[in-house]
Amino acid sequence: MRHKAKLILKTVTLLSLGSSLFLIAALQACQTSHGSRRLILAGYTAPREAYGKGIIPAFEDYWRQKTGQSIEVLESYQASGAQSRAIVGGFEADVAALSLEGDIDRIAAAGLITHDWKAKKNRGIVCTSIVVIAVRKGNPLGIRDWSDLTKPGLNVLTPDPRTSGGAQWNINAIYGAALRGYAGVAKGDQDAAQGLLTDIFRNVSIMDKGGRESITNFEAGTGNAAITYENEVVVARQAGQTYDYVVPRSTILIENPAAVIDKNIDKHGCRDVAEAFVDFLSSHEAQAAFAKYGLRPTDKSVAEESKSQFPKVEDLWTIEFLGGWKQVAQSIFGPQGAYTKATEQGK
Amino acid sequence: MSTTQSQIEGPQITGASRSLPWGKWGVRATGLIYLAFMIVVPLAAVLENGFKDGLSVLWSDITGRVALPALELTIFAALMVTTVNAIMGTLTAYVLVRYRFAGRGLLNGLVDIPFAIPTLVTGVMLVALYGPQSTIGNWLSGRGVHVIFSTPGIILALLVVTYPFTIRAVQPVLLNAEREQEEAAYTLGASKWITFRRIVLPSIARAITTGALLTFARALGEFGSIVVVAGNVPRRTLTAPVYVYGQIESDNHRAASSMSVLLLAVSFALILGVELMHKRRDGGAS
Repeated sequence: MRHKAKLILKTVTLLSLGSSLFLIAALQACQTSHGSRRLILAGYTAPREAYGKGIIPAFEDYWRQKTGQSIEVLESYQASGAQSRAIVGGFEADVAALSLEGDIDRIAAAGLITHDWKAKKNRGIVCTSIVVIAVRKGNPLGIRDWSDLTKPGLNVLTPDPRTSGGAQWNINAIYGAALRGYAGVAKGDQDAAQGLLTDIFRNVSIMDKGGRESITNFEAGTGNAAITYENEVVVARQAGQTYDYVVPRSTILIENPAAVIDKNIDKHGCRDVAEAFVDFLSSHEAQAAFAKYGLRPTDKSVAEESKSQFPKVEDLWTIEFLGGWKQVAQSIFGPQGAYTKATEQGK
Repeated sequence: MSTTQSQIEGPQITGASRSLPWGKWGVRATGLIYLAFMIVVPLAAVLENGFKDGLSVLWSDITGRVALPALELTIFAALMVTTVNAIMGTLTAYVLVRYRFAGRGLLNGLVDIPFAIPTLVTGVMLVALYGPQSTIGNWLSGRGVHVIFSTPGIILALLVVTYPFTIRAVQPVLLNAEREQEEAAYTLGASKWITFRRIVLPSIARAITTGALLTFARALGEFGSIVVVAGNVPRRTLTAPVYVYGQIESDNHRAASSMSVLLLAVSFALILGVELMHKRRDGGAS
């Protein structure tokens, strides 16, 4: 009974994942039709433009030149956590390109990724970004740093970290900057860092399901400031938006991993294509495409070439400063975590 | 809606002697198995998950500092919406049945629109209409009234989403109602209002409660439109269904199930309560 009930719960969850996923899954990846091969990419929403407009067309050319085969990449984008759960739930993606390590780890824990994905080049990280504050054109309210977000009467947007794994980066950025003594509170003071979160969340008016929805609401005119990723602003400005962003003195380096999903690629018989794709992500060409769409490249030479595009951060740090994702799941997002307490105090 | 009621209480199908036993049992079994698969089994799954760690854990889950305000907000909004739509829905049904005017058929058809469009779209429509960037929203916020991303927005979305329930429950009863009593009341000099209150209302009371129940239950569980219009800030504009979604998304299935169990219990208790009330009243009348 217990097993059966679980199965049904799973089915219900699956149904809610949306029919589009099933459509793609039903297409059965990598099947040869008209001599072309298929690859299913399950991405999260932020690097959508980089993949869709830059990297995938480039990879298709690369693969054709290398093997003579034409390839069709089917793309699915949704919030990172939801995407990860979809794959665990049976969405047969070949490659996962997600927002955070934990979302890839979940797939590995389900037994679908059998190789040590972190042993890959750059610990499996393919692109990076930073958490920034989007402000109205010309920054009329003079917002410069995290502590400015606590000003009374301000209207701040940030996605919900409970529903969006990516939104957890935002909370980490604020909390870590505070602990490092860069956000107007004493260095290393956990209570003060949590207090800063409480004060900022007092000004938060909308917590959307995902990062893209949040920035879309900001673009539509709601709010004075939005906590977001640098690449979201760059892409929006490329599309004609005119708002600005400020880089806080101290912020976190967002590291986005990608990995092939062993069980699915073996089932679809496309290990060669999938592995080539993930390797291609660290190529000069793909890294330049990431840079073009606002993501900070991990490749040193591309980083050097695109240096002028990305403002320098005074104090840039990684999730390791907060003890890694496992630690953060407790210390920030757990039942006694700083974020949890901050929202429980807010009103 | 009200037809379901009359079917349940209608004559039982007993004269199956002429048909083959196989057919008789086949129909019953199919109906019951379908019911089991659609309702009973999923319900059992949620209940099992919610009670897995015992009642005290369930209790501490739903009385949490984020969960409880979410629950209160949801029940408050559902009650408001049920009251408004019970009154306005009855009025609308009355107008659609008893008055003749141009475009009545078209308007009647429009009533079902909220059921026909995805509720997510309803949410997007409301943000476009009343959001801070819209003319109306801008005008309102200039006067200190915030609709979208606050409680009025939640209520508004629920009003739209549950709009058809009362109307569609009351309408058929009104259509079938004998009009002699009404006409007699008019003839004896009763005002329109007295006639409505004394003659029409008693005959549609049951249909109104059926509609109101469905409205309440639907409002309690609405997600698609709410997640867009509410703002979802914990302790301010986070509703119970959005809270449940958040807990699922952060792999906290137990807390999600606890809240689901409670929402289920509230709806179920209400349906049961109203059913009992009707039974007692019907019993007393005969």
